[in-house]
Amino acid sequence: MSASDHDGHGHDDHGHGDDHGHGHAGQSRFIQHHYDDAKHQFDSGKFGIWLFLAQEVLFFSALFVAYVLYRVHHPEIYSYAHKWLDVKYGAINTAVLIFSSLTAAWAVRAAQLGQKKLLIACLATTIVCACTFLGIKYIEYHHKWKEQILFGKFFDPCVSPGGEELITRKNKCEGTKSTVQFDEAAGKPTAGCFEISKLDLDPDRVGIQADCQVSEVKISKGADGKEVEGASRPITNRCKDELVELLEKTESGGKVGHVATHETPKPAEEAQGQQFPCWRPSFQPFVCLDATDADKRLHGQGSKPTAGILVEYGDELERHDVKINATCKERPVTPPPSDVHADKTNTPEEGVKAVQPLHELTTHEEHELEALGPPPEHTGMFLTIYFAMTGLHGVHVLVGILVFIWLLFRAIRGDFTSDYFGPVDFSALYWHIVDLIWIFLFPLLYLIH
Amino acid sequence: MATEESIPESLKTLPQAPVSEPDFLHITKGWKSWAFTLDHKRIGMMYLFGILFSLLLGGSFALLLRTELWAPGKTIVGPDTYNQFFTLHGAVMVFLVIIPGIPAALGNIIMPIQLGAPDVAFPRLNLASFYLWCSGALLLVLTIPFGGLDTGWTLYTPYSLETKTAVMVATSGVFLLGFSSIFTGLNFLVTIHKFRPQGMGWFQLPLNIWAIYGTAIMQVLATPVLGITVLLLTVERFAHIGIFDPTMGGDPVLFQHFFWFYSHPAVYIMIIPGMGVISELISVYARKPIFGYRFVAYSSLSLALLSFLVWGHHMFVSGQSRLANMVFSALTFTVGIPSAIKVFNWVATLYKGDIRLKTGMIYGLSFLLLFTIGGLTGLFLGILSVDVHLHDTYFVVAHFHYVMMGSTLVAFLGALHHWWPKFTGRMYNEAVGQLCGLGVFVGFNITFLPQFVMGARGMPRRYWDYDPQYQIFHQISTIGAYILGFSIFISVVSLIASFKYGKKAARNPWGGSSLEWSAPTPPTLYNFEKPPVVHELYNYDDLVEVAPDRWERLSDAPELQDAKKEAH
Amino acid sequence: MASAEHHDDHADHGIAHVATMKTLVATGTTLLFLTLLTVLATRVDFGANINLAVAMVIAVTKATLVVLFFMHLRYDRLFHTVVFVSALCAASLFVGFTLMDTSQYQHTNIWDPSAPPPAPVGWRPTG
Repeated sequence: MSASDHDGHGHDDHGHGDDHGHGHAGQSRFIQHHYDDAKHQFDSGKFGIWLFLAQEVLFFSALFVAYVLYRVHHPEIYSYAHKWLDVKYGAINTAVLIFSSLTAAWAVRAAQLGQKKLLIACLATTIVCACTFLGIKYIEYHHKWKEQILFGKFFDPCVSPGGEELITRKNKCEGTKSTVQFDEAAGKPTAGCFEISKLDLDPDRVGIQADCQVSEVKISKGADGKEVEGASRPITNRCKDELVELLEKTESGGKVGHVATHETPKPAEEAQGQQFPCWRPSFQPFVCLDATDADKRLHGQGSKPTAGILVEYGDELERHDVKINATCKERPVTPPPSDVHADKTNTPEEGVKAVQPLHELTTHEEHELEALGPPPEHTGMFLTIYFAMTGLHGVHVLVGILVFIWLLFRAIRGDFTSDYFGPVDFSALYWHIVDLIWIFLFPLLYLIH
Repeated sequence: MATEESIPESLKTLPQAPVSEPDFLHITKGWKSWAFTLDHKRIGMMYLFGILFSLLLGGSFALLLRTELWAPGKTIVGPDTYNQFFTLHGAVMVFLVIIPGIPAALGNIIMPIQLGAPDVAFPRLNLASFYLWCSGALLLVLTIPFGGLDTGWTLYTPYSLETKTAVMVATSGVFLLGFSSIFTGLNFLVTIHKFRPQGMGWFQLPLNIWAIYGTAIMQVLATPVLGITVLLLTVERFAHIGIFDPTMGGDPVLFQHFFWFYSHPAVYIMIIPGMGVISELISVYARKPIFGYRFVAYSSLSLALLSFLVWGHHMFVSGQSRLANMVFSALTFTVGIPSAIKVFNWVATLYKGDIRLKTGMIYGLSFLLLFTIGGLTGLFLGILSVDVHLHDTYFVVAHFHYVMMGSTLVAFLGALHHWWPKFTGRMYNEAVGQLCGLGVFVGFNITFLPQFVMGARGMPRRYWDYDPQYQIFHQISTIGAYILGFSIFISVVSLIASFKYGKKAARNPWGGSSLEWSAPTPPTLYNFEKPPVVHELYNYDDLVEVAPDRWERLSDAPELQDAKKEAH
Repeated sequence: MASAEHHDDHADHGIAHVATMKTLVATGTTLLFLTLLTVLATRVDFGANINLAVAMVIAVTKATLVVLFFMHLRYDRLFHTVVFVSALCAASLFVGFTLMDTSQYQHTNIWDPSAPPPAPVGWRPTG
């Protein structure tokens, strides 16, 4: 390698020991003092921005790692959940960003050639495109917020990926009235907030399915619906492992048994050699059952997991006139009218179907639900990764907009000349990296087949 | 080489040639001229004072926790407070002292001068880096009143997600500190590429600069991963996104992968600048060129690259798969090789050298021994079967203190003394410096050698309480800690006192041959009065000590040229 | 210093290469076309893995075009390419090693209800 990447670097006389903004004769006033000339400054800046872009790649890399890991290990989550993303918006955003990349590169050319008006036009167009991108992003995020298709523990979708509303607009899993849908033929339950007011219960067990976050289960007994003294504790659904143990007293006051949850421990020997058809082998929630008889009810074979938790009664309970209220979170104080009734013929053979639909499913809806089934466990993780990646990318777009506005201001002021256009070039490079990352995010998130 | 007699009397008594303009410390006055400075030397000095203050803070936490460990059970504080002590000690030392220490403080002050440049490539970015450091430091310190931090400096999930302490304040601080580091590295890389004078090709660069170059590569490539990791941790804590939470499908071991992907290169960011400094110290104070220059230069680069391949060795017992364990263990052995190459080369440099035991050299020699111990014990830990026994014991604590403190901090102190005359214009008190250097060496070994023993015997780290069988080791360690802390404190006080009491320094007090010694003492604003002439690297033949603590280069002094011709 | 003159498109002012309009427009058009292509490709079902591969090939092609022409790497110092590629290599290392590790203990699930993964044996949390 030569003596220096920049040959002939020496020291001009430093008689003027003042600030770094002092230019050399004939050159732009933005050439800093410690640089030999404009080319030295530009080359250094170029190298600097490439280093910055390298670190940007690494900054996003951890999210790509998370994406790859979850996609490889849980493809079902991706197959299911990506349908909540609208390809149309993603494609428009991609096109907008590519076009803005073009105008940014064009802006650099204009700056290099001293074409001030064109430079301003290109910078402005880039800013407009970037704002369009953010606008469309906002539309997408807003839709998800409304439908509660959110990340992590806030994942509580009110629409299926096919678009059917899982709950009526009124309650959004916060009230009590709900539409519960399921496919009669396959006995596949689907989501919905619901309240069962009265059940004629099977001697062995009764099931409740809740697809939203059920906050409480109260057991009341008696024809008059008076609540007996019993503990009720918050429970959550979706094969989560919170214990709910409810005690029920007879009218005489003694304890008659307990309502077991899916976490009732089984002796180790029973667990041996059994098939647990849940999505995550580490969980064996009772709901993942396809019971044919009481013995096998925990260990159904080949059944599809379903959502919700199962509340079971012990055998020794009397069960007539037992009312189970499952309330969704933030339920209003006054008990709402119940509109979901238990199926009298609920038997273990049919799986955990405990409710009947309130409306007839259209053929389309049937087919959609047939195809999609309930969300796999931890579907929220896809949304987490989606929001993390697009969110971080969106922050970078926002920063880019601010940078370009600053550039626009400087361009109008006439700062950029054919020997000083570094800031335009370097900002455009940053913008291209933002575009580059989106070029990968789009197929990885939106175009999952 | 000219002999004593051949040096003309006039030259011995000749005062230093006056410098045409004021030095950088005095050219402008007032706090604004410092707060808004673009001068790398002033920025470096501000970093230095921040770092020394952080050293005091982190050291105080260390002494507090060592005092608590004097006896089993409670000595001065309870277990929760003790957790906070070791966490804050670690976080402050790692993020505020050791990582920025040599690059940001001394690198900023010295590197451009040593390179022969008027400034770094991006002075405004440099100032921004400094303010990012200050903001990050402020946030990290603010954790103390806002609930403290008790997760360990490594912030492992799931505890860091659940603890009620001020994790988000700390992670925000770490995020800013990370970007300070990235921008510093970026700045140095561009400076080294673009600001070398005529005659300074890549293989005429002082090894200190090669080291800074290797460090900068790691700073730019590895630190962003720390940024995204703490960002994800903060967001998860705040919004429960679930990426590290198994109940939502996440994976806490994933946090460890993310964290150590940065933090292993980070430990090389800590040590490599120290190694660069040692190359300079050993060469100057033994008056010999570094043996195997190219090997040492290449080893800095290869360490930078290899450091990215071994992060899993921090996770051998965290649930990492057996396959990954074996791969990382094997790669960890290779990463010891470049370090060993350097140590052998330094020792070979000492052979037949003309050794002067100035303070810088005392620290340099300490480094050789302490780094050897630290590096070797790292290899022990890299062996899978041994690590299963030693992981999370005091053996690990002793290992990393040998490399982080016994090596990096020692190098930092040595470098500080070595270049102190150059950028302050004052000589520090040599006797105090040497005595404290010895005190650091002795105190350090008393503190940490027993920790190897008790670690091997099973004493776990981060424990507030312990079995009585370990007490004697803890007590020896605590005594050593006080000796060590006291020595460091006195040496820093002595350095600061030199501003008032130190005698004026000559341009070249140690007879160094690199470019910074031909700059004025202290340097002018743009470092050199006239374009620097690049001499042959590490060639000391040309330098004579004309007076105590004052060396001159013969080729610069015409009178001595004749004497030289006569001598030959 | 705005100049209304249009310099020769390949004029190198000694500072940097100037991109030609032809290059910029051609690159932009190709990118938009490839975007259309990748969206259309999802309509056809080649199987999940092939679809992914097709999408990635198109994405990498688009990325290469952006990097080479919009970002001028084609006309720039080779060292800048080295810098960018190093970052990609470090990121790949990150993905590769982590995937190697997690693959050993995460059982990849298949969306096939009739063949669920086997249950683990042993201690189960009792809540």
